[in-house]
Amino acid sequence: MEAAQDMAMNENHTAIDGCVTVSALFRKRVAELGESKVALREKDLGIWNEYTWADYGAHARLAGMGLLALGLNRGDICSVAAETVKEWLFADLGIICVGGVSNGVYPTDSSSQVEYLINDSGTRFYFAEDEEQLDKVLAVRERTPTLEKIIIFDMEGLRDLDDPMCISFEELQRIGRDYGAEHPDSWDREIDRAAPDDLMILTYTSGTTGPPKGAMISQGNVMFMMAAMMGSYTVFDSDEQLGFLPLAHVAGRVFYTFLGMTAASVVNLVESPETLVQDLQEVSPTVHFAVPRVWEKQFSAVRIMLKESTALGRFAYNVAMAAGARRARYLKENRPVPLPLRLAFFCLERLVLKNVRRMLGIDSCRWLSTAAAPIAPDLIDWYWALGKPMYEVYGQTECSGIATANLPGDFRIGSVGKPTPGTEVVLSADNEILIRSPGVIQGYWNKPEQTADTFVQGWLHTGDVGRIDDDGFIYLIDRMKDIIITAGGKNITPSEIENQLKFSPYITDAVVVGDRRPYLTCLVMIDQENVTRFAQDNDVPFTTYTSLCHTREVEDLIGTEIEEVNTRFARVETIKQFRLIDQLLDPEDDELTPTQKLKRKVVNEKYSDLIDSMYQSA
Amino acid sequence: MALLTVRNVETYYGPIMAIRGVSLAVEDGSIVAVLGANGAGKTTVLKTVCGAMDPRKGTVDFDGTDITGLDPDRVARLGIGHVPEGREVFPFLTVEENLVVGAFSRKRADFSDDLQMVYGYFPALADRRRQPAGYLSGGEQQMLAIGRALMLRPKLMLLDEPSLGLAPTLAQEIATIVGRLRAERRMAILLVEQNARMALDVSDYGYVMETGRIVMEDTCERLKNAADIQEFYLGMKDRGVRGRRRWKQRKTWR
Repeated sequence: MEAAQDMAMNENHTAIDGCVTVSALFRKRVAELGESKVALREKDLGIWNEYTWADYGAHARLAGMGLLALGLNRGDICSVAAETVKEWLFADLGIICVGGVSNGVYPTDSSSQVEYLINDSGTRFYFAEDEEQLDKVLAVRERTPTLEKIIIFDMEGLRDLDDPMCISFEELQRIGRDYGAEHPDSWDREIDRAAPDDLMILTYTSGTTGPPKGAMISQGNVMFMMAAMMGSYTVFDSDEQLGFLPLAHVAGRVFYTFLGMTAASVVNLVESPETLVQDLQEVSPTVHFAVPRVWEKQFSAVRIMLKESTALGRFAYNVAMAAGARRARYLKENRPVPLPLRLAFFCLERLVLKNVRRMLGIDSCRWLSTAAAPIAPDLIDWYWALGKPMYEVYGQTECSGIATANLPGDFRIGSVGKPTPGTEVVLSADNEILIRSPGVIQGYWNKPEQTADTFVQGWLHTGDVGRIDDDGFIYLIDRMKDIIITAGGKNITPSEIENQLKFSPYITDAVVVGDRRPYLTCLVMIDQENVTRFAQDNDVPFTTYTSLCHTREVEDLIGTEIEEVNTRFARVETIKQFRLIDQLLDPEDDELTPTQKLKRKVVNEKYSDLIDSMYQSA
Repeated sequence: MALLTVRNVETYYGPIMAIRGVSLAVEDGSIVAVLGANGAGKTTVLKTVCGAMDPRKGTVDFDGTDITGLDPDRVARLGIGHVPEGREVFPFLTVEENLVVGAFSRKRADFSDDLQMVYGYFPALADRRRQPAGYLSGGEQQMLAIGRALMLRPKLMLLDEPSLGLAPTLAQEIATIVGRLRAERRMAILLVEQNARMALDVSDYGYVMETGRIVMEDTCERLKNAADIQEFYLGMKDRGVRGRRRWKQRKTWR
């Protein structure tokens, strides 16, 4: 177990183990760890296959050399559309090391989104995971003049594909091998040419206003981020992560590709997004970052399991969680836990809590971390009571990852922590959070206007409204443009109410509406599994998802949940009416983000009739 | 009030939950189709209705009475005829004996007319009435199985994959008979089929099942035009940019 990275930061660049670029650090890791250590595991047909650092390096090198052979110039854009699979990481580092710029495309993106991304970024080389991703590009390639080659990871079903634009990833690597034989020095030469200011990755951020913008993240931005993260948390080379978040998202990239490399820890890639629960149990990671939606699902699963368990089981759980919550109160205040409580917790943990944690797959975790969306503080408390510390962090794509973090021994639940080392956070006159750090990016790709609006004199204007308490902890209030001002002139932060609603096992997500309206209302997306269970338990007949949403009992159920939440808020902040979204949405629908959150703007537009109906009855 | 109402049924095979909360209704004199892939739970729904399996949860109402958990013979007496998947005729009994078995709940004097009625629908059976049923072809056995259920004079017939293993013309013939039974005898039919085109053509209303749940319901006219039904059940798929497409759209059931 070792966490002895040598880090140095100065004004121009961050050095980790003597490397100032990601390319150089990757080369160093491959050289020093070689065959001796596993870098990646990927589950394929139920079996975890291992890839050492030497394998990782060799695959990335062949991919990179293949791109050189195809004529890649430094700064050329390569896009990757795939689930979180090993080839994504191979291609990513191949691209980066030979000086290309790698851009992630969500596998759920539609053909027209793919077209926009290729054209906006000027992609020359496009990596497609499989037949499905390939078809999306082929459908639009007439309108994407910059596109030259499509490289396909998985050729299943494409044996007869005969298209001069398309080659398989294997073929790319074969070309790379030949090129490497002729130009043995080019790999090292390109790595040596990399500089901290070089653009390294583009990460498109879902534009809630206007089309997505490509955030330009440099080599140096990521090196700074790695140093900041390693300085905040201890990550050892013995640590195991579970790789399941999309790599097109900055969080997935930072944790799996870059943090894995910096700490030389192991990243285990899930078989598919659907097998997450089982893979999490099998891997039992030692450090685990996830988005609130994942934590909310775990909590719901335990709630439902309790309903079906015996009275004794429920009793044991309640006693253990009560002791866990008492213990957590001491930990939160940094006070020593009294001996009797420590003993009681020791026993209850072994008898009860460990089983719950093992079922969830988090029993081996040293810490849990959450970000990327608002989370209810009660949910963080729940994990603490369960005996696992959960730290909320905050950041944006525009600062290459995290900007503030709660730390072991220095945290406050409900806040997003304090600025990480090297980062400054201040509030503007209208309480917008401003960030300055070497992680703040240069701007948006080909969007000078938006760049000028967001990055002002070195300060990133986050668009988030927050406050800072006397001890320096930062609290997020909401997205600036999401703040609702009711017709009565009252300012309301919808996310606070929505978080409480999402805490209900029956509500997956909700959007609170009420800007320039007389009162607040909301649209609710129900949790299919748990509401179905409710209907079954209460003999409520239904057939499809839509009919389930239209039963009176389910409406009453959600109504009761909302009433419950209303009691926690002031009168003006209570929800007066609600409607259920009666279609089962999936990430390919416009209404959902790839992380399956409802998009406020799209929902507001698409369901405007439904929203209006909530204001007509009065 | 529908003739058959199934509410919130959950049925298990040992520890395996095969039906995970199904509710459906069959109106008097209507044909209702249940579509779904292998293992979706279609046959289990029929078995639960006819009493061959008891649900662990939920109720089945038929003609105003609660028949949940009743033995299959009691259910049959109330007027539900079940034509099981794979026909299940008695191979060593003659055709006519098979039909007589179907009228087990009635006095011999009452059902000679019914024999004639069955032979009217299926003339092929009349010709072979003295032969052991095991000697019949697949299509004839299917007719016999339907005939056997008709002998009960059921108000509702449960038809489990009647076209299974039959030549297309025979399947078409069965479909015609199904339509006639409803038209001439006002019999309600709950039809389980893998042959979605035939099922949608002959039925009024349809449910689509997937892993033990209903994911879609509508009139058959509208089901035929739903994108998912066209791709997954009717084989009408957009061939894509390369002229062939192997991957499937994600199902949304809208």
